Amino acid sequence: MRTKWIAPVALAAAPAMAFCQYLIYEYAPVEQVMGIVQKVFYTHLPLAWWSLFSFFCVFIASILYLKTRNRFWDNFAAASAEVGVLLSGLALVTGMIWGRHSWGVWWTWDPRLTTTLVMWFVYAGYLILRSMSLSAERKAVVSSVVGIAAFIDVPLVFLSARLWRSIHPAVFNSKTGGLEPEMKLTVITCVICFGLVWAVLVGLRSSQMALSDRIDNLTTHDEI
Amino acid sequence: MLKAAVSIAAKDLKLVLARGTGLIQALLLGLLLIFVFSLSQQIGEKMSAQAAAAIFWLASVFCQVLVFNTLFSLEEQNGARFGLLLSPAPVQAVWIGKALGGFVLLLCAQAVFLPATIVFLGQSVSHLWHIGLAMLIAIDLGLILLGALLGALSQGQAAKESLLSIILFPLLIPILLAGVRIGSATFSGIIPEGFGDWLGIACAFDALFGAAGLLLFGFIYSGEE
Repeated sequence: MRTKWIAPVALAAAPAMAFCQYLIYEYAPVEQVMGIVQKVFYTHLPLAWWSLFSFFCVFIASILYLKTRNRFWDNFAAASAEVGVLLSGLALVTGMIWGRHSWGVWWTWDPRLTTTLVMWFVYAGYLILRSMSLSAERKAVVSSVVGIAAFIDVPLVFLSARLWRSIHPAVFNSKTGGLEPEMKLTVITCVICFGLVWAVLVGLRSSQMALSDRIDNLTTHDEI
Repeated sequence: MLKAAVSIAAKDLKLVLARGTGLIQALLLGLLLIFVFSLSQQIGEKMSAQAAAAIFWLASVFCQVLVFNTLFSLEEQNGARFGLLLSPAPVQAVWIGKALGGFVLLLCAQAVFLPATIVFLGQSVSHLWHIGLAMLIAIDLGLILLGALLGALSQGQAAKESLLSIILFPLLIPILLAGVRIGSATFSGIIPEGFGDWLGIACAFDALFGAAGLLLFGFIYSGEE
């Protein structure tokens, strides 16, 4: 696996994240109703979007692993799931802070919140499955099957939760006002910068897992 | 393929019903759940129809996990799994056979859970019983299709009941919500808003995991330990 790109992207991510903080606390205006608490939104949205993207990567990598049996895809799926669980966990926490000030409750039955929580549960189970002592091949296959089943369930989870009840704000809905231009620019920049951090985390974990595979193979074949 | 699937289901049912322990364990767990939840009410208090429906489905999914663990553990002794895999029937026949067996066992369990819910949780079946029954079949189909797919995780005792529950339960959320909504209507007699949508979700779930099972079961059910 090529790893040369990780260091430069990590170096770019650091000032980019610092620039995000400037945009969040200096450039973007303070929201009139929610006040300073609204600033959590600039972290919450990128976390939620990149966690969903991570789970999508697990889905694609799982299909590709079953098709090609290339260990790279299994490692990529595992790394994406780890990062996805971390980011969705943080998205849930920041979402709760938002919900407490916006809706007056820490938790409510909202499609996006519920879908994120359900995905967090599913992929946490997926990571437990990956931590079990199975042969590498068997573990990769069963994880891929669970990775595919988990993602195809997401639209139904979302639809069923929406049928139950919804109060989530439509962030980019221009008909209902949406965001101020400064806020929109800030949130888009944050999404891009979080993307750099996401790429570094997934790349690093994938390369660590590839190294771990190599060590396992060396040990198995008594080459060390 | 269907003939082989029916043979596998018949063989599983004979083994499970003859030994008894697998189904009885699942039945007792479900009954215990219903009984324990009945303690949450004050004496003389009536539980809401929605809460009762949620408890009924909770008992059903716990039962489903035990049923599929039992069904897949039948071939773990004496290399019987290799026998099934070496048979000329396609591997999907095993999946359909396990699903059929699971369906019968789950229906047997629910035939006990439903009266228990009525008795312990103070419910009554309204005139909407036919809608409830149709929905129960649609949801049970989803439960067994996914259960038969992921139940194969227990192959080689890799994933025990606890892990299977952790993986299965969140995936079952869409049909469980549908079950709770329609179950609540069956107990209370009030048709909920979007009844057709809930039925649509249950059928979509069945179709989705029916297709996924056909495609993916071959990967998960193999000769590997």
